[in-house]
Amino acid sequence: MISKIIEDRVYTLAILLVVVYAVAALTFPDTFPTFGNFSQLLLNLSIDTIVAVGMMLLLISGAFDLSVGSVVAFTGCLTAYLMEFYEVPVAPAIATGLLAASLIGFINGYLIAYFGINPMIQTLAMMGIVRGGALLVSGSGIQSLPYWFNAIGQSKLLGIQMPVWYMIVVVLAFTFLLTKTTFFRKYYYIGGNERAADLSGIDVKKMKLISFIIVAALAGVAGILLSSRLGAALPTMGRGLELRVITAVILGGATLSGGYGKIPGALLGALFMGLVANIMVIARVSGYWQDIILGVILIATLWADRTLQQRYAMK
Amino acid sequence: MKVNHILRKVIFALVVCNCISCELPPRGSDSRVTNSAFDAFDTAKIVNEEYVMVTTAVTMPMYVNHDQAAFKRWGEKMNVKVSILGPADWDVPAQINVIEEVIGTRPTGLLINGTDPAIAQVINKAVSAGIPTVVYDSDIPGGNHHAFLGTDWYEIGKMQGEEMMKLINGRGKIAYMGILGMANMEAGFRGLLDVAEKYPDVEVVGKFDDKANVEEAAKITSDLLAAHPDIAGICGFDSNSGPGIALAVREAGKVGTVKITTVDWEPEHLQLVKSGVIQMLAGQKRELFTWYGAQFLYDMVHRTNPLARSDVRARITSIPYQVNTGLIKITAENVDEFMR
Repeated sequence: MISKIIEDRVYTLAILLVVVYAVAALTFPDTFPTFGNFSQLLLNLSIDTIVAVGMMLLLISGAFDLSVGSVVAFTGCLTAYLMEFYEVPVAPAIATGLLAASLIGFINGYLIAYFGINPMIQTLAMMGIVRGGALLVSGSGIQSLPYWFNAIGQSKLLGIQMPVWYMIVVVLAFTFLLTKTTFFRKYYYIGGNERAADLSGIDVKKMKLISFIIVAALAGVAGILLSSRLGAALPTMGRGLELRVITAVILGGATLSGGYGKIPGALLGALFMGLVANIMVIARVSGYWQDIILGVILIATLWADRTLQQRYAMK
Repeated sequence: MKVNHILRKVIFALVVCNCISCELPPRGSDSRVTNSAFDAFDTAKIVNEEYVMVTTAVTMPMYVNHDQAAFKRWGEKMNVKVSILGPADWDVPAQINVIEEVIGTRPTGLLINGTDPAIAQVINKAVSAGIPTVVYDSDIPGGNHHAFLGTDWYEIGKMQGEEMMKLINGRGKIAYMGILGMANMEAGFRGLLDVAEKYPDVEVVGKFDDKANVEEAAKITSDLLAAHPDIAGICGFDSNSGPGIALAVREAGKVGTVKITTVDWEPEHLQLVKSGVIQMLAGQKRELFTWYGAQFLYDMVHRTNPLARSDVRARITSIPYQVNTGLIKITAENVDEFMR
């Protein structure tokens, strides 16, 4: 039992989350442990988590995508642009936005899988191209989006804003896919040993292509939800999101070398970062310190996790 | 199969819940409904008086040296707690997240940097929650905030344009740079272009995104100087544009030949004007944004200047709705007055 807890980052992170939550609740009893604050916390991390789910899939297969933040901005801006300037109805505009996001993922995946371009170089280049595209279509941003588009991200269900529910659905769906379907489990084999996976008959190139399409499509969903929640599409949306998401996923148990990770880990990693940021706002910790504290916590958590695992392995 | 079954149950539950308790956002929430601001506002309950400033790019030197320094000085003078929050990078959604979280802690007053029109909804949320709310720097259309203090960015662009036309005698090539996509800077760009349009001998050769980064601004400028050796002037629109342009112009040995106008008046900018590399700075009176913004909040909470028997019942506030703090034009002639 203890070995399972120590070996699995999902469990250690879950315990850490409970401890941090309890300490914060005792320290700030009036402002922290409220339904309003908790639902706000979930809402604030929902966009990052949806992208983190896709990034977890990529990291399991041993790759990552730096263009996701730009795809978030581009999808939101393109969808808004179609609705605002061409009066395209909400549903086809969203479909076009998601199709464009998937196309970006297809280009990334195709060049990486079939031409052997390094994922970092390819997605770094795509990050700039797509951000430029977002600026081209939206200028300084597009406001006053249609009511029903805004309703997607601003409606509430059981008092909780919709992006949180979408996040839960995405996490549940991908948890199911990665644990119960042989197709998605192949990503673990690819991440563990790509050559062996290839020799065992897995179409590694096709699988890689699909994973990049999935992460871009999820970034597209996040872009539409963010624009809908803000009631505006901004070309500056998603700046720095790629690093936040990779940090959350690593915190949640993935490794840059691939082969490890679970979808709930992506949620817990994002939840941990969101929780720390929320506590710092409530504790009125100056913005100067927030990045430093988050960085220190990340290193400390990974160090403690590794030390525990090593000690247990020695026994 | 078991997981599949559970999933099906969850989706069914969500659909059922959706039917019975889905709450749609209010229609027309972006219209200015100023009076709604005061319904929930109760000045009698002042407990643990605290004024919170929320900005984005909280570590940007211009914000630290001007906005935040004045806000802290004000807090010390008034002997009240002041807090400064916001993301370290330029991230408007993150600023919105912080404002949402701050609303839950019910500060006495909220001073918000008007970074983008997209923050209108969260401003309205703060006002609806009964928190006195003042916006500074750029006004936010659709926001129900109680007051705004700032400058008109279109005027910043216009001031730069007019000065640049004088410097280049109304002819030659010019370019400009800043953070593309930011609403206030785009307004500044329009101001510059509206002036340039009146001069048929002026050719605008480019609009560039320097990402508020000195190195990027310098790189763009050196590329520009290579592509257009006869370029007459370059205008900058963010705090780091000026130092970056100046660096590249100096390295190319074109100081004085290529005229530079830009924004902000940090010590580095002033030194560059003093040494003749930059010809003009269009400065904002940023200290006034936050000092008087905080004072407005304080006056509102403490009813310093009541205009009616009850301002709340009369549905008015006793603070100005809009204050334009104006611009400062800094050239070689008056730069010494600003150097400390």
